[in-house]
Amino acid sequence: MSSSQIEIQLIASIVAIACAIPGTFLVLRKMAMISDAISHSILPGIVIGFFITQDLNSPVLIILAALTGILTVVLVEYIQKTGLVKEDTAIGLVFPILFSIGVILIAKNANDVHLDVDAVLLGELAFAPFDRMIIGGTDIGPKSLVIIGSILVLTIILLIAFFKELKISTFDAGLAASLGFSPTVIHYGLMTVSSVTTVGAFDAVGAILVVALMIAPAATAYLLTTDLKRMLLLAIVFGVTGAISGYWLAHFLDASIAGSITTMLGVIFFLVYLFAPSKGVIAVIYRERQQRTEVSLLTFLLHLKNHQEEEERHVNHLNEHINWQKVRSKTVVELAQKNNMIVIDNGVVSLTEKGEEFTSLAIDYIITNEDAKIEYMKDDFFLFRG
Amino acid sequence: MTNIAVKVDDLTVAYNYKPVLWDIDLEIPEGVLMAIVGPNGAGKSTLIKSILGILKPLAGSVTIYGKPYNKQRSLVAYVPQKGSVDWDFPTTALDVVMMGTYGSLGWIKRPGQKEKKSALEALEKVGMLAFQSRQINQLSGGQQQRIFLARALVQDAAIYFMDEPFQGVDATTEIAIINILKELRKANKTVIVVHHDLQTVPEYFDWVTFLNVKKIATGPVKDIFNDDNLTKTYGINFKVSVQE
Ligand SMILES: Nc1ncnc2c1ncn2[C@@H]1O[C@H](COP(=O)(O)OP(=O)(O)OP(=O)(O)O)[C@@H](O)[C@H]1O
Ligand SMILES: [Mg+2]
Repeated sequence: MSSSQIEIQLIASIVAIACAIPGTFLVLRKMAMISDAISHSILPGIVIGFFITQDLNSPVLIILAALTGILTVVLVEYIQKTGLVKEDTAIGLVFPILFSIGVILIAKNANDVHLDVDAVLLGELAFAPFDRMIIGGTDIGPKSLVIIGSILVLTIILLIAFFKELKISTFDAGLAASLGFSPTVIHYGLMTVSSVTTVGAFDAVGAILVVALMIAPAATAYLLTTDLKRMLLLAIVFGVTGAISGYWLAHFLDASIAGSITTMLGVIFFLVYLFAPSKGVIAVIYRERQQRTEVSLLTFLLHLKNHQEEEERHVNHLNEHINWQKVRSKTVVELAQKNNMIVIDNGVVSLTEKGEEFTSLAIDYIITNEDAKIEYMKDDFFLFRG
Repeated sequence: MTNIAVKVDDLTVAYNYKPVLWDIDLEIPEGVLMAIVGPNGAGKSTLIKSILGILKPLAGSVTIYGKPYNKQRSLVAYVPQKGSVDWDFPTTALDVVMMGTYGSLGWIKRPGQKEKKSALEALEKVGMLAFQSRQINQLSGGQQQRIFLARALVQDAAIYFMDEPFQGVDATTEIAIINILKELRKANKTVIVVHHDLQTVPEYFDWVTFLNVKKIATGPVKDIFNDDNLTKTYGINFKVSVQE
């Protein structure tokens, strides 16, 4: 790997981490759309900042653009507060206007400005290593790496300092307010961090990828955990995984890096959506199928327990007696055999001792709901995992 | 003369144009267990939120033991109406109860062992210790309500505001909750509860406030809980006289 390849992956990974942190809270606050709005409406801030400073990496430009981001949030909330339109409509009203102001500003001054809309929306990660930050004659790294790195450090400090405040105001704004943690202050703090991160990242990765990096990893992590800290960590892991795998995808396909990273983030989400251990689609289907089989098994065992007469217990008659389709009765009989709960002798099914015991315990459990007795069955049976 | 725990003067609150609370005057003495009753939309939740500084009133003032709320936060605990939190939030029952300690911690400081211990004690008190590591949306409505009560208990406040703590709970839980509230009163705490079941008002509470946009009446249950005030509040003829 060349050093610029390493630097590109490093920049992408740092951007991913910096985005995942505010992104987690945006997802939990159901504010995914607002990051989209911010990422577009910072354009006029960037353009005006660029007119003033003539430097895409100037702190003044970052501050101006971040202010435009916050202005977006303020305007959205103001419009929403009138009660005339809902939040999504308010967002849809505000950011296209701000964005188009930016577009017009660029178009009007296209002659003397080295700035175009594509660069802002898509960025160009591939060129990021060539724009170096040089202080006092020494090269301290790519400019965008220094900028986003500083933003990340700041974000982490704020996260550690205000973790509990972010948590409580996201979960229960009423309680937060009554305890003196102003949800408004925390809300605007989060919006400021989101805006600054977006601005800091757009030069390297573009505004669209910023949105993807904020929302997709957090949404993926949300499927996997019931703990906020773990959700943050997982979001970071997914963000970085998407960034690096996306880079290599782009490398082999010779495609846009930002586009490939976004694709990988989508792929990761989809995989987790399918395979997540408890909330995933496959896990749910598997569990439901398994539970249905277990219920049938119980019905079957009960039938055996309650009927001593041979014709009721004959394999060939089970279908008509218990009313199952053939397929199902086969699975159930096999499951019972595998667990040594029944023996089949000359086509007549009878319960083993273990089967007898299991059936009475299961019935007891279902009636009394007492966990202790069936502790050992929980590993094998979904039904008993309270 | 007992102390006045909460004093509300000329409070008027509006969300949009029309006020939902008009010119409320209210004095809540220390050590009472008070019900706020009134029909849906009467402004009960709004009244509590304005007292707690969650909403900004158009006019009027609120004092807690003679001082504005933001000076007295540590004296007050609040159990919001159930719908008001995000149940899918990735957090456990114990964690939610711990949130009750955040107020005394203040900004930036993080909860430690001491906070965890008092949270566990509160969980024990409401009979939810076994559920401490459950994700909150895997709890039943009544269990969630107990968690919120536990969260208020760890705040160890002087005044408790509870917005419909009995909403959707079974008889056992209701009795468990009311017993805890009565214990609080015994310890000379002031407890203010938004309550919908008029039948149980005389049995559970010693003080009552009738509210419907305006304050209709406030005082001891035995003096003012009568058909007249109920009719004024609910606008229909009431014949559920207080049982002796
Ligand atoms: N956020 C809000 N925006 C606008 N109007 C609101 C808002 N919250 C409440 N209201 C209105 O204010 C009035 C009082 O509401 P509040 O929630 O205080 O009633 P409540 O007495 O608690 O009712 P309930 O018994 O149903 O809980 C209602 O008419 C309600 O529609
Ligand atoms: Mg209410």
